[in-house]
Amino acid sequence: MTWQLAALLLLGGSTVLLLLGMPVALSFVAINIVGAFLYLSGEAGLSQVVRNSVVSVMSFSLTPIPLFILMGEVLFHTGLAVRVIDGVERLIRQVPGRLAVVAVVAGTVFSAISGSTIATTAMLGSLMLPIMLARGYHPTMATGPIMAIGAVDMLIPPSALTVLLGSLSGISISKLLIGGVVPGLMLSVAFVVYIIVRAKISPRLAPPTPIAKAAGWENWRLLILYVVPLITIFAVVVGAMSAGFATPTESAALGAIATMALAALYRVLTVDALVRSLRGTVAITGMILFIILGATTFSQILSFSGATDGIVSLILGQGFSELALVALMMATLVFLGIFVDQVSMMLITLPVFMPLVTRLGVDPIWFGVLFLICMQLGLLLPPHGLLLMTMRGVAPPEVTFAHIFQAVVPYVIMSLLLLGLLLLVPQIATWLPNLLIG
Amino acid sequence: MDRLSGAFGRFLDWLMGLACLLLFAMTLLIGGDVFTRNAGVGGIAWSNEVSENILYLITLFSAPWLLRQGQHIRVDILLRAIPAGVGWVLEWIGDLLGFACSVYFVWYGFKVLAASYQAGAINIKTLVTPEWWLLAPLPIAFLLVAIEFIFRMRRLAHGERAPRTDAVSVS
Repeated sequence: MTWQLAALLLLGGSTVLLLLGMPVALSFVAINIVGAFLYLSGEAGLSQVVRNSVVSVMSFSLTPIPLFILMGEVLFHTGLAVRVIDGVERLIRQVPGRLAVVAVVAGTVFSAISGSTIATTAMLGSLMLPIMLARGYHPTMATGPIMAIGAVDMLIPPSALTVLLGSLSGISISKLLIGGVVPGLMLSVAFVVYIIVRAKISPRLAPPTPIAKAAGWENWRLLILYVVPLITIFAVVVGAMSAGFATPTESAALGAIATMALAALYRVLTVDALVRSLRGTVAITGMILFIILGATTFSQILSFSGATDGIVSLILGQGFSELALVALMMATLVFLGIFVDQVSMMLITLPVFMPLVTRLGVDPIWFGVLFLICMQLGLLLPPHGLLLMTMRGVAPPEVTFAHIFQAVVPYVIMSLLLLGLLLLVPQIATWLPNLLIG
Repeated sequence: MDRLSGAFGRFLDWLMGLACLLLFAMTLLIGGDVFTRNAGVGGIAWSNEVSENILYLITLFSAPWLLRQGQHIRVDILLRAIPAGVGWVLEWIGDLLGFACSVYFVWYGFKVLAASYQAGAINIKTLVTPEWWLLAPLPIAFLLVAIEFIFRMRRLAHGERAPRTDAVSVS
């Protein structure tokens, strides 16, 4: 059987099953069964798929995933997020589009604690959206910044999907986590600048809002009591990893314990909040890892069948430059992001992309951060972007899907511009991990 | 049948609760390991291995519960684009294939488990354990997933003739 037929069967077959609406994990299982029978020696291959599935999720490198998600869930379910927003709001006073700017800044703070884009978007959406709408903000001005900064959560550590990307691709998880910091902060700053300019040009989109009168210590109290300690947790997580004091998993565990301890100190960690946080964490972790369990043999079968080598040789034979090839891979990811979830994107593309990255000698951190930005874009792309759905779930009925789709457009453009900039200037992604880890 | 489905759902809730407890224990275990290692009292040598096993158990214990809640990620762009009746038929095909995949894991899972048990295979890491201890949860979990697929198909048969509104992504 030729590699072309194998590629068609494995890649085409999995795509057809995904489109049938089967759970992603089981779509891969179905293709793995056929692939293992054909390419891994029949009966022996079928047993090997089972063995591979058992060991697939027993990886210490995957352990930060639930721990990073738990940090965000605790922040969400204990109500600590409200205090963070209050703390940030008191400092941002005379700015056009003030509440939208507060949402972006508070979202950046949440991103530094939460490893879940859903938690960040849901937190901001449920807490800030009603206030913005009540103060006369246009729905696009109210929802856009929240969804955009929710997506940036994936770039700023801790991030569950970054850990998964590192684990599946073999790229250093610590470097990848730190590599996302600068692009993430660049996007946050770009969002703030855009909001201010937009609100200045069209004040009706974001009418000026009354500011609570407070002076001196009152202005700073919430920031020092709530925001600074949470940022300290971020510093501990990233610092422990960079200094080699702890692995990403250990840093994540320290971060999760510190977040729970802080919530307990503030007397907001009730049994109910803890149970809901754990339940939310297990649900998201289970969704991700079940796909890994089902799909684990996919790349192995693709490789055994000769499809990986065939595709890689075919692409390299076209004589593309390194930059053109990386750009082509990113374009493929952005396209996939329109209709496929982030985990499937990794599983479908990494078996082909990583051998290309290795053969071309592309910096894996640069490639990994570009990959993250494409996945972040996928969260925002209509009609399927997860954060569009999350926003729809928390927004009142007067906010329509049309508002939501329209709201993300400028932020998608800014993310695409960052992607282009990063393609041309890899140092934006690589200098901080090189500086901190070497 | 409704009572059976309800009882099965409560069992899945209980399994989910167990997964939550395991996650909490794992968090404390890794944190305890870092703390004791850096405090100079040696650390917990088996912490990594047990954490890996817990991750595996969390995945399996939550899988049938997630299926019941419609939270396993899937792509529904085609299901939404075609007429509802055709989407409903595709749901049936997806469920039947999902059921078949689960049965495959049950059958081959038990075969691999039996072979390992008969061979007396052991895992030698920090802890020394019979291999079948780790292999056993997989076919059991997929048996629960297969049972849930039956209830899921029953709900599909009695529900609206349209695609479901299940989860489509995760992060």
